[in-house]
Amino acid sequence: MIEEPLKTPLLRVKNLGLRHLSASGPVTILADVSFDLGRGEILGIIGESGAGKSTLGNVVLGLLAPEFQRTSGTIEFDGMSTEAMTASAREAIRGRRISAIFQDHTASLDPLMSVGMQVEETVLAIDGSLSRRQARHRALDLLTRVGIPDPQRRYRQYPHQFSGGQRQRVVIAIALAGSPDVVIADEPTSALDATVQKQILGLLRTLVDETGVSIILVTHDMGVVSEITDRVLVMRKGQVVEQERTAAILDNPCHDYTRKLLAAVPRLRIPATAANPDDRQSRTGATEEGDRETMLLIAKGVSKHFSQRVFPWSRAGSKAKFALRDVTIHLRRGTITGIVGESGSGKTTLGRIIAGLDSAPSGRITIGGRQFDVAKSGRRSGLLGRVQMIFQDPAVSLNPRMTIGETLRETIRFAAATGRNDAPADLASMMDRLGLPRSLLTRHPHQLSGGQKQRVCIARTLLARPQIIVADEPTSALDVSVQAEIVDLLKDTVAERDLTMIFISHDLAVVQQLCSSLYIFKDGRVEDFGPSDFIFSQSRNPYTRSLIDARPRRFTC
Amino acid sequence: MPLISVVLGRLSQAFLLLIAMSLIGFIGVHSVGNPVFNVVNIETATPEDIRQATIALGLDQPIWRQYLLFINNVVRGNFGTSYIYHLPAFALVMSKLPATLELACVAMLIAAPVGTGLGLLAGRRSGTIFDRTVLRSSVFALSIPSFWLSMMLILLGAILTGWFPSGGRGTTARFLGQEWSFLTGNGLWHMVLPALALAIPNVALIARLSRSGTIEVENLDFTRFCRAKGLSSRRILLRHTLPNISVPIVTIIGLQFGGMLAFAVVVESIFAWPGVGKLLIDSIQLLDRPVVMATLTFISVAFVALNALVDLFYAVLDPRVRLS
Repeated sequence: MIEEPLKTPLLRVKNLGLRHLSASGPVTILADVSFDLGRGEILGIIGESGAGKSTLGNVVLGLLAPEFQRTSGTIEFDGMSTEAMTASAREAIRGRRISAIFQDHTASLDPLMSVGMQVEETVLAIDGSLSRRQARHRALDLLTRVGIPDPQRRYRQYPHQFSGGQRQRVVIAIALAGSPDVVIADEPTSALDATVQKQILGLLRTLVDETGVSIILVTHDMGVVSEITDRVLVMRKGQVVEQERTAAILDNPCHDYTRKLLAAVPRLRIPATAANPDDRQSRTGATEEGDRETMLLIAKGVSKHFSQRVFPWSRAGSKAKFALRDVTIHLRRGTITGIVGESGSGKTTLGRIIAGLDSAPSGRITIGGRQFDVAKSGRRSGLLGRVQMIFQDPAVSLNPRMTIGETLRETIRFAAATGRNDAPADLASMMDRLGLPRSLLTRHPHQLSGGQKQRVCIARTLLARPQIIVADEPTSALDVSVQAEIVDLLKDTVAERDLTMIFISHDLAVVQQLCSSLYIFKDGRVEDFGPSDFIFSQSRNPYTRSLIDARPRRFTC
Repeated sequence: MPLISVVLGRLSQAFLLLIAMSLIGFIGVHSVGNPVFNVVNIETATPEDIRQATIALGLDQPIWRQYLLFINNVVRGNFGTSYIYHLPAFALVMSKLPATLELACVAMLIAAPVGTGLGLLAGRRSGTIFDRTVLRSSVFALSIPSFWLSMMLILLGAILTGWFPSGGRGTTARFLGQEWSFLTGNGLWHMVLPALALAIPNVALIARLSRSGTIEVENLDFTRFCRAKGLSSRRILLRHTLPNISVPIVTIIGLQFGGMLAFAVVVESIFAWPGVGKLLIDSIQLLDRPVVMATLTFISVAFVALNALVDLFYAVLDPRVRLS
């Protein structure tokens, strides 16, 4: 977008150093960070967790907690140095000339105040001379501009009545209320579904082109960077690794770390095969009498709804909300089957039902010819133990009070007690196989990195010797570079041990790398299914197509 | 339609609660002892007198029969006659209610705003001297026993300085057929010390609750976002933080208010304040079963009503409750 080098940068950060004064002594958060931001420019700041990218955004906003201390450098905004400003002058800039968009659109809005009022109060805070009516008028304008349909009616509604994407639009409207020069957007789309993410990024680009606002986009996602930024700042451990025009970085990264980050982004491959379109039935083997032998798990007609009951004895309400509607899936022995869908599509619910952690009022689950009662959960279902889960966030799925060794040995004892473990001594070999140093056995979870914790969770799952593993977004809480390692590990493990796995994800590219067949969920139903190649190359289902299109083009080939 | 089912749910809960409470209360009083010995003059009564009194009170019947009889009467609105005062039991309770009600209201009117205000400020400035002072004095206020606090208040406020009367309701005025102290200056004057004695622990409780709530809410993204969008700290505190911490505060106010109606015995006794709590304790000691049962029923109904009121407040405060 920006053709020639910028003459007067709007924001200039020079040699910025920052440290955090913690109980265990000062820790360097930022070291010698310098960058310029021009008018009407979108600058991406990318890095993995702990790179200091969010802190950098907060420094510019002037929203740092007092335990952070600047050790060096200057920040100039529109030619003025921010140190020279008084606290009230900085206060005056915030919201008016520099504003912010945060990651979590739900947490960014006060749940108890109507959406319109939250925009209105911002307008009033910025320009106290406006009357309530004028402020309201301006707030409506803003809501219209960010694409909230029917803003008059929605003005009085509360955040929980808005969808995630709409909430983020409201947050953007608030950020734009003071016609700021700079908006700092901290992971603005990370909490959104892929299709919505695409829309919000499009909105940001349009706003930049129309109003000339500059955006600092803090993100961990190369896909986001590739979609809308003009320039990118790659950060690692508080330092700037590389700073270049987006196209140049993507095509020709100079630094190893940047190359590693780029390589780790899962790429969606659209196979150019021309398989017979009517192939689907035979290839998934979805017919029941077909090769029943090769189908390890069949879940048939599983439905579940959430409803509120008034009395314990009263019947479920008529306005039940379906989490799953008549879902049928087949799992071929020794393969990985992917379940893809956006948030609320019921994919996790199904995983939990198959693992015996949840019950479903109707449906049948058959594993290896034996039928299980899905109306029951827990011990009574008989599914516990046979099916193991790997959860999304390893940080909260390990008991923080137990050492890694205690956690794993507990699993071995449990598995031995149920007679499914014939070699209880394989803890050490398991650790070796999963790339975990044996010294970790005496450590507690908080002493491990995110990737190590997820490896421990995988070890725990394997030690329980399940027939089927349900992996529920096992990589989405991890950094990109670690994600790839975990995906490879899962793939190898399944192949080596002849396991069968359900891999739940919202990310098509990850699923493609792992899974031989796919189910696409939408609103609790199976929207599309088939062999993975078929889905990506030939599916004509509009929803499937929209999911594929929502992928950053750069990483689709 | 949902409203009706909510109300029906509440009523059925209240009904179950009353059944359970009446059973426990009935059996409890029964197992403490025989009330007959408090009714007749122990020194002069012959065994025949005692037998006749027992029959007159219906105490010769088996306990389950007595209970059924009691329920039958209650359904017709009759809690029986006090063994001791020879007055209708429920009317007796109601005659003590104004004293308790006005005292509890005044105490809560002091405790709620003061506690919330202190908590908000302390939470806002957590770690400062002000915050530490509020925290420490709240621990102190919560741990001193009520009787000691009451006596210290009398010592300081009445005996040493002579500013306030040390007990009694003072002049009362008639309103809605009952005697109220808060309608006269002298009555209000009498109310100051007992109301403080009830309010101080509640100030501490509410302050702690709103302090921790404030710290939690101030760390949430939306208050950070409010600062980023340029709102003043005052506006954030009053328009965003306060509503967001109010649900637990309203809950605790409801519970504590119920507690003050029923169990302000110590304060009521020390300040010679003739309220419901004092009546309940006296009646239990005298095994005056009709009065005990009438008081317990009243307290249960009051708690259920207060809880319903608190729920209603949730809906007022939180649109997520209101609209679902």
